[in-house]
Amino acid sequence: MLKRRAADPVFIFGFILSVAFVGIAILYPLGKMLSTVVSVEAIPYFERFLLRPTFQLIIARTVILGLVVGACGTLVGFVFAFFQARVAAPGWLKKMAHWMALIPVVSPPFAVAIAVIVLFGRSGMISYKLLNLRPNIYGLSGLTLVMTLSFFPAAYLNLLGLMRALDPSHEEASANLGASKLRTFMRVTLPMLAPGIASSFLLLFVEAIADLGNPITIGGDFDVLASRLFIAITGEYDLIAGAVLSVILLVPGLIVYLVQKYWADRASVVSVTGKPVGQHQPVRDWRVRVPILVFISFCTFLIALIYLTILFGAFTNLIGIDNSLTLKNFDYVLNGVGQDAFSDTTILASLATPIAGFLGMLIAFLVVRGKFVGRGALDFGTMLGLAVPGTIFGIGYLLAFNNPVTIAGITVLPKLTGGRAVFGGALAILLVYVIRSTPAALRSGVGALQQIDPAIEEASTSLGGDAFTTMRRVTLPLIRPAFLSGLIYAFSRSMTTISAVIFLTTPEIKIMTQQIYNETDTSRFGNAFAYVVVLISIVLVAIAILSLVVGTRTGAERERK
Amino acid sequence: MKIPFVRSAALFAAASLMLAACGGAAAPTAAPAKATDAPKPAATAAPAAGKPDKLTVLCTVTEDWCKVQTQAFEKATGIKTTFVRLSSGEAAAKLKATASNPEYSVWWGGPADGFVQAKGDGTIEPYKSPNAAKIPAQLKDADGWWTGVYIGALGICSNKAELAKIGMDVPTSWADLTNEKLKGKFSVAHPATSGTSYTMVWTQMTLNNFDEAKTFEYFKKLHANVLAYQKAGAAPAQIVGRGEAAVGVVFSHDCVAGIDSGFKDLVVSFPKEGTGYEIGAMALVKGGPEKEAAKMWIDWALTPAAQELGPSAKAYQLPTNPDAKVSEKSVKLADVKLVDYNFTKAGENRKALTAKYEETIAAQPK
Repeated sequence: MLKRRAADPVFIFGFILSVAFVGIAILYPLGKMLSTVVSVEAIPYFERFLLRPTFQLIIARTVILGLVVGACGTLVGFVFAFFQARVAAPGWLKKMAHWMALIPVVSPPFAVAIAVIVLFGRSGMISYKLLNLRPNIYGLSGLTLVMTLSFFPAAYLNLLGLMRALDPSHEEASANLGASKLRTFMRVTLPMLAPGIASSFLLLFVEAIADLGNPITIGGDFDVLASRLFIAITGEYDLIAGAVLSVILLVPGLIVYLVQKYWADRASVVSVTGKPVGQHQPVRDWRVRVPILVFISFCTFLIALIYLTILFGAFTNLIGIDNSLTLKNFDYVLNGVGQDAFSDTTILASLATPIAGFLGMLIAFLVVRGKFVGRGALDFGTMLGLAVPGTIFGIGYLLAFNNPVTIAGITVLPKLTGGRAVFGGALAILLVYVIRSTPAALRSGVGALQQIDPAIEEASTSLGGDAFTTMRRVTLPLIRPAFLSGLIYAFSRSMTTISAVIFLTTPEIKIMTQQIYNETDTSRFGNAFAYVVVLISIVLVAIAILSLVVGTRTGAERERK
Repeated sequence: MKIPFVRSAALFAAASLMLAACGGAAAPTAAPAKATDAPKPAATAAPAAGKPDKLTVLCTVTEDWCKVQTQAFEKATGIKTTFVRLSSGEAAAKLKATASNPEYSVWWGGPADGFVQAKGDGTIEPYKSPNAAKIPAQLKDADGWWTGVYIGALGICSNKAELAKIGMDVPTSWADLTNEKLKGKFSVAHPATSGTSYTMVWTQMTLNNFDEAKTFEYFKKLHANVLAYQKAGAAPAQIVGRGEAAVGVVFSHDCVAGIDSGFKDLVVSFPKEGTGYEIGAMALVKGGPEKEAAKMWIDWALTPAAQELGPSAKAYQLPTNPDAKVSEKSVKLADVKLVDYNFTKAGENRKALTAKYEETIAAQPK
């Protein structure tokens, strides 16, 4: 299979590791799941979920939600990234917008939903108490607002890394040839960003359709597949119904993945040549700056408002009803079940992050630079970890790992999930964290590597560097920002994910998002807010540490400084 | 349930009195048994086996109460006690899914219907605690499959301020809840996950003489008013308290807990057609990993001391042990018209009815 670099043992080891990871942690549970779905018992379920108008409506709504959130979130993320990378603005404003955009990525999705209810609900502090309005935010509008705010940072981080890495000389060339700024933007800049835009849209689309927490919290009448799936599992523990619904949920995600892959591959433009590059000319045209500044200010203000509400809510008795200050929410959270949940989740996420970051970059390197047959399959297999809704893995893991895996009577893998599993079920949760996080690192890596001319690496190779040295000394420094965003995403994603692990928690292993979900569902916002505040603090500290260790600039940018 | 349970308060009061009398007579023998509860296993049961050191409780009341109760047990016995809170339907489903290798040893809390269903699923096993002798016969299973630990009545939880805005009086009947003014302003949990909500379903079945079609016709109308289905039965009290919905159906003690925690606009009412009630039960999980500790939990949870802990966690359910003090915030069953709620039948029909509810009501567009 390996052609050119077959002699390189590091390369072969990396290849075997990646294939084993994809095979055991991703494909095996999915296979189990699919074999359940194609069994005879599943037929009536398909009939029930696909042929009845009720469910057709639910499926349609699910797709609409994914498209709307994907589009809105990518747009907001794009504007934030463009503002950050290209628009002339005071430094403090840029810093503030950057940090504000990071906060949602580090908080569990329903945090925003409940804050929005507190602020803009029927009896909301702003909507009713300030403006005397009684809006109905329960439905598509509320979901779009909440999910866009929750998920856009993934698009922002993704696009920002790419924009910073773009070579300005193309744009300069375009300008020199007499193209207007708009034309340059449309014909030069956008095409170079196409892979990033497409992968952002995919991320958000899948996030939106697979999200369990928000539809239950703020979805109102707007019923989606994820909420029905949740009831099927929690209420009836009907694994077949869960499996069938999951597969139906899988189809739109896969279609979007294939479309984006087809499109991005055709649109890929190599731009980082490694030759000395100039600085981007910041946009100063007020016709562009003013709308962007207004938009950014509005979004930043909204996010700030939401998170101040969360912070304030964590310290109040009953926010909006009785705003007297108290520490009882923190007492509840820190001295109860919360304690275990905090340590369990933090430890597992800390383990998952370097593993996911490493695997993501390794696979990105194999996929972009490797010359073996089946690169595409490896990429695809890894991406399934994200393209497949989290609930599928939750159910797939239950099906695959609830009993020891044996081949010809020999135990290959012990029981990983449920009560009395190895490490109390922690290993299964760790694996899920890793498979959910690796694709983000992979896409960041691929996006960045595609922008780097292979000639740079070939130079290293011809000077005698092996694959590992080239990766460490040449490639990694060049893709450092992308690597960092991959790591940050991996950690915060693990800390804040719920849909994949909600079915995998055991009495021994408590997961923070599950606890927050419990508090949200019982509508005890004070406790939920306190949980969120502690969780965000943990993640922010971790990000600060990661930024210090990895660094936010590329090697080239460091040299220039 | 051989003895048909109270339809009227008088009968209930009489039964309580009678059993209290029995309890009184039995007191001299029961008391020492209780006093030696904790040291007994250590002293008499095989010392070689050692004292159980940990217990995992599947807990189906509010998280606060779970916490208070497990901490108190841990203090009383020295057994390290952890809990996982799940709603009643979830708990039954989880037990069934993990039956071959149970994670929990005892299931505590949630309406008895769920335990009847679990008995059918083969996920619990009978245990007749010596302390169960004190519990009135109609509040426990005759063969020890489950034993009642508290009682609660289903009630309507309304927000006065919200009702005033839409020009409605506090609802006092099931029929009032389908009023068009409540469209999108009515909150209730999903019967598939919530025992509270299933109690509502079975109450309607009972009121409609077990006519399923008529019952679901009612829910179809009610569904039009539902804001969104929660997972946990107690949640609507908070949602109504916050003014996001105007009316909800919860166990009345959950509404009282809401008032207690600061939602001053909340008010409890009971439907005049008659309302359902729950016997909050507990049972030994079949094949659970910590059987001895689980039995100790069940013995302990039936003592007056254990049953008086609820109010400290804003849980105002009525205790089943006649010797336990009753909080003045608890519902006075004498003032409420109760339906003849058959827990066995309710439990046996639970899976079918909740599945039907999900498919023909909850998943339908409004």
